[in-house]
Amino acid sequence: MTTYSYFPGCSLSSSAIEYDTSFRLVAREFGIGIDELEDWNCCGASPAPHHWGGALGILLPARNLHIAGASHPSVVAPCAGCFNRLKYAQHELGRNPALRQLTERALHEPVRYDTEVINAVELLNREIAPEEMAARAQGRLEGISLGTYYGCVLVRPPEVVQYDDPNDPVEMEPLLKATGAEIPHFPFKTECCGSYMGLPKKEIVLKASQRVIESALESGIDALVTVCPLCHQNLDLRQGQINAAFGTDYHLPVLYLTQAIGLALGHSPEDLGIDAHAVDAGALISRIRGRRAAS
Amino acid sequence: MINLSRTVTEGAPLVAEIERRSGQRVSACLQCGRCTSTCVAAHAFDFPPHRLMHMLQIGLVQEVLASRTAQLCLDCMTCSMRCPMKIDVAGVIETAKAVADEAGLRDTERDLRLFRREFLRNVRRHGRLHETSMLLRYNFATRKLTNDISLVPLILRKRKVHLFPPKVKNLRQMRRIFREINGDARPAPEPETGAGE
Repeated sequence: MTTYSYFPGCSLSSSAIEYDTSFRLVAREFGIGIDELEDWNCCGASPAPHHWGGALGILLPARNLHIAGASHPSVVAPCAGCFNRLKYAQHELGRNPALRQLTERALHEPVRYDTEVINAVELLNREIAPEEMAARAQGRLEGISLGTYYGCVLVRPPEVVQYDDPNDPVEMEPLLKATGAEIPHFPFKTECCGSYMGLPKKEIVLKASQRVIESALESGIDALVTVCPLCHQNLDLRQGQINAAFGTDYHLPVLYLTQAIGLALGHSPEDLGIDAHAVDAGALISRIRGRRAAS
Repeated sequence: MINLSRTVTEGAPLVAEIERRSGQRVSACLQCGRCTSTCVAAHAFDFPPHRLMHMLQIGLVQEVLASRTAQLCLDCMTCSMRCPMKIDVAGVIETAKAVADEAGLRDTERDLRLFRREFLRNVRRHGRLHETSMLLRYNFATRKLTNDISLVPLILRKRKVHLFPPKVKNLRQMRRIFREINGDARPAPEPETGAGE
């Protein structure tokens, strides 16, 4: 069994606790070892890199990379934002001696930054063969259309994250297709949800996320699937605000990738924390269960 | 009427600085407008991205640095991905924002500034973000006490909050990180070679 360092980040310990729960559950199901990073800190998210011209946005994630360097060969960051910041730190430390020096002055020791950084999709694709998924899922998600929503920071900027196609990413598809789910064409899969503007500039988020939801519905999607807690917050937690702002009546469930996989393995929505979402996924769950009962 | 030859000359050093640090050439922009057509936040900007590029071309740098566009850009990088001239438009805008910060330019988006301030103070204090206290402090700072208050019952019901902040054990190391950055607008040092490739 391969064991990975696990960097949950702030969201997965509070507002996205259900992503942590379902991630650990799926890891356990497939025998993937995860070992939480000792004494990790906030990656800086969006405010750090934007605020001080870059340095803080590197030093904060650099401390986590440094801690990971003393542990397993790879660190997995399920939050797309944390993944992006760790990759940024690695990229910048590798090419910038002055920044390394600054980091080492803060850490008081030579910085370790060569641990492999991977995201949740990458981990699952590496550890789970589609055939194995298909055998375990027994077609539980047949007839369900999932919208693979990648957002921005998982795949951009390509020279930094070096993951999938920045305009038309597809890496979530093999495992989800193996569950029996359909993955329709979804043109808004990398459109921005409005990012961190939810508090300071709400109208940007509501409009951007409304467009994503509308596009999903036009594509006949039953639920969106994401690996980004911030996207999830904007699309799920703020869906009521979107409805109020635009006079819409959306009820589109937004699942974390590990929740969709957990459902495919037959776990209950409660075990996966799907009941912690703002949008009720009851109708979707009934369809999944109804299909099982009918067959 | 704007005297173009004068603005180009006056703005040239700062435009060169933005080009150097972002590694982009603003003169390569064809003004096709594709960046603007893909931008999800353009409706909230004072100048859409392609106009910002044009302003840099004609040397209206101060206007760019003071623009709402430079502050509100989400850095989603969609424009950079779609530019037919392969210009990293978001990178240019981010660089303009950093230059404005370093020049001590007062930003006009007060709520955004306060959001970043409260976010980073929270991280400095605990090492990790404590969302509950961040939201409360932000709402007090902006005097918008009811902002997102409608979400609170929902968040409580869904058991998504820590009442007490989580804490990093090695807070001294965290403090040193913030101290090295100096608590003010310290830019990232630039690599000696290979900058802006």
